[in-house]
Amino acid sequence: MSATLTKPHRPAGASPAEAAPAVGQSDLPEKPATAALATLGYAARGAAFRTGSWLWKATGILAFLTLWEFGPLYLAAPSTRVFLPPLHEVLLAWGKLFESGSIQGHLAASLGRSVAGFGIAVVAGVSLGLLIAWYGRLNSVLNPLLELFRNTAALALLPVFTLLLGIGEESKVTIVAYAAFFPVLLNTIAGVKTVDPLLIRAAKSLGLNSFRLFQKVILPSAVPTIFTGIRMAGTASILVLIAAEMVGAKAGLGYLIVNAQSSFLIPDMYAGILTVSLLGLGVNFLLVALERHFSRWRTAVGA
Amino acid sequence: MTAKISLRNVTKQFTVRPGKHPGKGSGTASTTLTAVDSLSLDVRDGEFLTLVGPSGSGKTTLLDLLAGLSTPTSGEVLVDGQPVTGPGKDRAVVFQQYALFPWRTASANVSIGLEGKGPDGRKLSRRERAAKASEYLKLVGLAGFEDRFPHELSGGMKQRVAIARSLAYEPDVLLMDEPFAALDAQTREQLQEELLRIWRATGKTIVFITHGIDEAVYLGQRVAVLSARPGRLKAIVDVEIPDRDGDEDIRSTPAFVEQRHKVWTLLHDEVRLAQDAGHRKILPDGTAPDEPAPDEPAAQQTPERSAA
Repeated sequence: MSATLTKPHRPAGASPAEAAPAVGQSDLPEKPATAALATLGYAARGAAFRTGSWLWKATGILAFLTLWEFGPLYLAAPSTRVFLPPLHEVLLAWGKLFESGSIQGHLAASLGRSVAGFGIAVVAGVSLGLLIAWYGRLNSVLNPLLELFRNTAALALLPVFTLLLGIGEESKVTIVAYAAFFPVLLNTIAGVKTVDPLLIRAAKSLGLNSFRLFQKVILPSAVPTIFTGIRMAGTASILVLIAAEMVGAKAGLGYLIVNAQSSFLIPDMYAGILTVSLLGLGVNFLLVALERHFSRWRTAVGA
Repeated sequence: MTAKISLRNVTKQFTVRPGKHPGKGSGTASTTLTAVDSLSLDVRDGEFLTLVGPSGSGKTTLLDLLAGLSTPTSGEVLVDGQPVTGPGKDRAVVFQQYALFPWRTASANVSIGLEGKGPDGRKLSRRERAAKASEYLKLVGLAGFEDRFPHELSGGMKQRVAIARSLAYEPDVLLMDEPFAALDAQTREQLQEELLRIWRATGKTIVFITHGIDEAVYLGQRVAVLSARPGRLKAIVDVEIPDRDGDEDIRSTPAFVEQRHKVWTLLHDEVRLAQDAGHRKILPDGTAPDEPAPDEPAAQQTPERSAA
């Protein structure tokens, strides 16, 4: 900003053709050499800071793992130690489960269900959300109903789904879809409704009809908000699925955990829990990256 | 000279919902406000007309009517002798707040108006659109910025992109609503010069709304002065400045100073009138957040910026 202000004043009468290229450059945010050097310094310090912060983050995890490894041996009473095996026993159990292929089987079962339910939720949530946001009347009819369903805990409906759909795959996929549906739906509605009215005016003045307006302005503008909903749905779908698998299933990580517990294979139970954590982390990482990719243009708005 | 645009006894009324007043229960009462009152005005083909008026004189309302974004309560808006029924490719609007699509690059913003079928019923290919966008970005002095996103551009550059976007589908008429008001003085002056250059190069008809008297006199061949609400045409000043295209600093010539004073005098009374009446802006959705509720007296007004 200061660069533009301190620039020598160009005489107003200068011939326009000659003025054009100079004008094109002078309202660029300029970066003199000193500023570039300073930026370099910042970047270097930033990199150091980032490695530092990684170190701090790793410290937390390492401390936790150390406590897990040595805590049961030295701190816990012998009777508790049975229920809280040290880390290496859990890792050994995980290795055995991996060798026998059973953990892959359970992971595949869980992933299959959550991907199916999540997929249904995204497709249904986005399309219904767009419809509701576009047709105001539909919104007033459906809104109270949606509020009611949204505030009913998904797991409370598990017995209903089990009764209606049996204890097979359908009931589990359905409950995952149900739990993941609402974040997607509500964020889609919010995304469409918060489109900048000025952009709509601009699009109308450009002669875009309703359909083009929706396709070229409203939808792209809502995409970041929709992806926030999709990320929330991803987390919700895994949480609900594990619980559902604990209640009645023949495979899946939830089943592995509960089954190991009742068979008194305590290290196997922890191996299952560890897998669930890693799965959750992985899914969240993926969806955050996806969300960031689609919101790139929004990051610097207002800067 | 033929009239490119003519307004015939155009009146526009709004049913205004007063904005929410914190701590007060009112807000449901509505009143009818006349923003523009039986206004008649002709704009010649290829003319650069500037429009000044105090706040609340219906400048933006008038522009919306010309753009086809709203319809007059009574009277007629004609472009090329045909009544305006909605937005059309023969007219383009440039907004004060740029209104660029932030998810599109500069090039994609410029080419959005080209994505449908053209007047000859043919659809341009992606490459043809990009070429045309580059051509118009070059016209506004932004060659090489095709792939930048709006958040990577300064205010002046954003407005250049917006101007390129409105020119790209080759409308006959350019409607500009205080396009340079949000820019700093230096950038504004540069863009004024550029706009004159573009106007001379393309021969468009330009209707330019501003609240800066200097800007109105500097840019316009004619300056239309609107009265305080309800907006009526108070006067049209023909700006006659000899040797306009020369190298001189026009703003310091006696002719410019004289014309500027003429417009200032015309506008001055209206600004005071508008101030006394407490006229505030009506938003496009029909709300007037600053308008006092009908049952309460107008609060002490702050001086209007347009008096400058």
